[in-house]
Amino acid sequence: MSTKQIIYLALIAVILVGLALFPFMTQDDSTFNLVILVFLYMTLASSWNILGGYTGQTNLGHAAFFGAGSLATRLLWVGGFPAVPSILAGGVIAVALALAIGIPAFKLKGVYFAIGTLALALILNITIGNVFPEMSYNPAISDYQIVPRYYLFLGLTVITIAAAYFLVNSRWGLGMMAVREGEEAAESLGISALRHKLLALAASAFFAGLAGSAFAYYHVSYYLNMPFGPEWTFDPMMMAYIGGTGTVIGPIIGSIFFVGLKQLLVWNVGEYHLIIFGVLFILIVLFLPGGLVEAWKKYQRWFTRWYQRRNTSPRNVIGTGHLP
Amino acid sequence: MKARMSIFALVLMISLILASCATPPTAAPAPTKAPEPTQAPAVAQAPEATKAPEATPTQSFPPAPEYIEIGASIPLTGKFGSLGSQVKVGYDYAIADINAAGGVMVAEYGKKVPLRLTAYDDESDPTKAVNNLEKVFSEQEVVAYLGGAASGMHAATTAIAEKNKVPYLGVSFAWWNIHQRGYKYLFSPFPKSPDQARDVYKALNELIPEGERPVKVAVFQEKTDWGNELGGLFKADAKPAGYDIVYYAEYAPGTTDYSTLIQEAKKAEADALLGMPSTPDGMAIIKQMSELGWTPKFTMLVRGPDAATWGENLGAAGDTVTMFAGWHYGEKFPGIEEINARHQAEFGRPADILVGPAYSCVQALADAITRAGTLDRNAVRDALAATDMMTVIGPVSFNADGTGNVLNPLVQWQMGKMELVWPLDQATAKLIYPAPAFDER
Amino acid sequence: MFEGLSQNLVFGILVGSLYGLAAMGLSMIFGVTKLLNVAHGELIMFGGYACFWAFSLLDIDPFLTIPLAMLALFLIGAVLYSLIFSRTIKLPDESKVKNSLLVAFGLSVILQNLALRFWTADERGVTPAYYQTSFTALEVRFPLVRLASFAVALIFLIALRLFLKNTYTGKAIRATVQNWEAASLMGIDIHKVYLLSFSIGAALAGVAGTLVVTNYSIQPAMGLGWTMKALIVMVLGGLGSIPGTFIGGLILGVTESATSFFINSNYREVAGLILFVLVLIFRPQGLFGTKES
Repeated sequence: MSTKQIIYLALIAVILVGLALFPFMTQDDSTFNLVILVFLYMTLASSWNILGGYTGQTNLGHAAFFGAGSLATRLLWVGGFPAVPSILAGGVIAVALALAIGIPAFKLKGVYFAIGTLALALILNITIGNVFPEMSYNPAISDYQIVPRYYLFLGLTVITIAAAYFLVNSRWGLGMMAVREGEEAAESLGISALRHKLLALAASAFFAGLAGSAFAYYHVSYYLNMPFGPEWTFDPMMMAYIGGTGTVIGPIIGSIFFVGLKQLLVWNVGEYHLIIFGVLFILIVLFLPGGLVEAWKKYQRWFTRWYQRRNTSPRNVIGTGHLP
Repeated sequence: MKARMSIFALVLMISLILASCATPPTAAPAPTKAPEPTQAPAVAQAPEATKAPEATPTQSFPPAPEYIEIGASIPLTGKFGSLGSQVKVGYDYAIADINAAGGVMVAEYGKKVPLRLTAYDDESDPTKAVNNLEKVFSEQEVVAYLGGAASGMHAATTAIAEKNKVPYLGVSFAWWNIHQRGYKYLFSPFPKSPDQARDVYKALNELIPEGERPVKVAVFQEKTDWGNELGGLFKADAKPAGYDIVYYAEYAPGTTDYSTLIQEAKKAEADALLGMPSTPDGMAIIKQMSELGWTPKFTMLVRGPDAATWGENLGAAGDTVTMFAGWHYGEKFPGIEEINARHQAEFGRPADILVGPAYSCVQALADAITRAGTLDRNAVRDALAATDMMTVIGPVSFNADGTGNVLNPLVQWQMGKMELVWPLDQATAKLIYPAPAFDER
Repeated sequence: MFEGLSQNLVFGILVGSLYGLAAMGLSMIFGVTKLLNVAHGELIMFGGYACFWAFSLLDIDPFLTIPLAMLALFLIGAVLYSLIFSRTIKLPDESKVKNSLLVAFGLSVILQNLALRFWTADERGVTPAYYQTSFTALEVRFPLVRLASFAVALIFLIALRLFLKNTYTGKAIRATVQNWEAASLMGIDIHKVYLLSFSIGAALAGVAGTLVVTNYSIQPAMGLGWTMKALIVMVLGGLGSIPGTFIGGLILGVTESATSFFINSNYREVAGLILFVLVLIFRPQGLFGTKES
């Protein structure tokens, strides 16, 4: 192991320990809520990224998997099932849905795939709203505990990110990226595009479904079709792009940035918060096409050059007013 | 090495930026935008300084907090934005009025303390609303919550009030079911579905002589849980009151084409139409009724015609439609004239219908705090439960389930204006009945 | 039964023409520039507000406000294209779709909230004095406002077609669609073509907006719903085929109203979407699209 790897691992360990100890540092539900929201979006954005970022299939129906997971879990759990099997069932149902729609959906390419999956999520959204028009209440609001939910989301997020990391660094991951860069070329190398896309879809759906399950376990009361709404697709996708698609760290950074920025604006700017957010978002998409990860790399290169220049001509530091 | 250096430099920069962002809110006492309290302190201190010492010369009180903190999450953007903005106006007016009189008397501190509302926009998203309420709970340590608007939003936020054990006052939802969950901290001075279903037939029977009543009723029920509740009550209450449901249909919210429903109701020869559409759906229903040439003698749509722009948008087509708005600016209760004058100056029209109920929430809260004599949330809750007072929406008291015993006026659109037509002692105009056909207006 | 059904079909066609018109602008933009402008619903909304303003402040008949709404939206489209979308135009097709999608998301958030500031969150609608006028033929009612709306949609369909077929600019646009490299070699300023196509698309959204505010109502959060409808109609009819888009709208309108007649109005939108998915799977180029590689 190189020193660099050791440093990274140590850094990850420190962050994880810090997050695990977090409930001992604060009793504040609003902080938990905010962190849980970030975790939720990290899971959604990372899972979207497996298919959308690494495999190049712009899936606009991600909410269908999120919704399916949350629906299954909520019905089972409120119906009296223990929480853990209900949550796992959510992930399984989402995968089942993914496999059922995968083969017809992957007949579609490019923008057709995008709009087709969007339509699918819409169908589910309306149908579920028709079948279950009732508000779903948390059965035990009086002894609602936020800390177990926090750990559930923390665990889910860590597992999702780790799984995404190992998947994309495996042979399958290489195959997925090959499919992204060109299906025909990949096929000519003996890589089955359909199989790789299906695997990516199933993995993506599984974690989105689990996110939905955790959401069902977390949320006090909501309409069962709410998690099928298009915003659950679009927001995670925007986060993945802000951070940088096709990287593991991108969706993580994107989620923190997106949720954090939005909340800061809501709390500090007042009525114009969404306008400012929209402007910032457009600027990022236009001028940082690779997302924040790309920007970070650019900054690193710039810093290296600046650092080298500074060290090679030390007199400049004092002489020419390079002060900040 | 270089990589680490660059990380260090960036972290340093970010923390500098964050620090510079973070300092003002913690240093300044009023970080959030609470528009009203600004005028409060100056007015508040003046009467106090003279009055408090002489009233209680010997007793010493613990130092009073600067404000009584109240928190709210209100949909100011998104699909419930038009409701939320009316509610916010009501809260702001009431708080400004109470603070102008020095604030709320709290016996525990032996003086009046002004109210301060911290309200955030939730974009009509219940998840964000929940977050906002948790935030004001932990940061402002609010004494009470004020609700946003619309049933679906309240269903999520009332649960948070229950969990945090914070008294919650909310209007702009008629959904009775929320109150049947055993919540102890929820209070709503607003008419509920059972009142609406009962009163529509009661009003008709009081206003229209037997033989002329629109006894054949069609119901267009929105397929939502509140729609289900109210539609079912319309059905259940019809027979005993002497009415007959001749057509009953469900539709999904957001439908663009109601021609099937309208034709069927017309074929069933219905004389009255009852429904609970959202404003856009209600406008579409009325327009398509006029296009298909069906004018029932009596139309009552809950919620849709509440929009202040209904008359302007629909012109003559919107006239004669009735609704249960929860309040009307023409009611004859103390304080309404002042609200109307202020609203007229600010918006060019008398107060919108949710302004009054929202205003009454703050009145009830202030009254309860004074009677509790403390800012302890449980004491305030118990005092709220014992509320029996006069407000801008009339006398208010609460039932065990948190529903209010309040006036439920029937309002009719006449010549592009809302007129109160029932109960008769509050009426500003006579009910127009039967409604003239659309092509004779 | 029969008159009920025929009345239903008539309404389906009349509503469908509005879907078709709403999708025509989107189709124009996507067909020429390959930009996926999901803020199309918000452009429709601005067209609606333009009509609402002209009607309520200047007392102009809603149908006469169409040129005004078109002009306003044409200019807004030109500004949006030059300021924002032109920066994504040079990307390869695949990332162009994605980037324009994202940019348009940001834009829709901005436009929605601008509308909220300008016109508040209240629903707005426009009702001309002749709203209740209807013609009856064979027991079926044809409301004047809806007939006029249908006529407007049809007129713009024909006008757009004539413009693309017969004018020099129109031919330049079509040449650019077929092969922009060759077109640019032939001396066509393709950036101008893109700018113009985007602005025309926006202007068509403006026309659709006047019809929406006259037939239904508008408010700041309405955009997404109409964008979805327009997207579906565009793909249903076939990408790049303007008449196909219009007919796609009619088919969607009829499917929806037939569903509420025969099944249940709760599932009208679901039926339309299922039809759409089926078409997508079995005829991905759309009903009237031509197959392209």
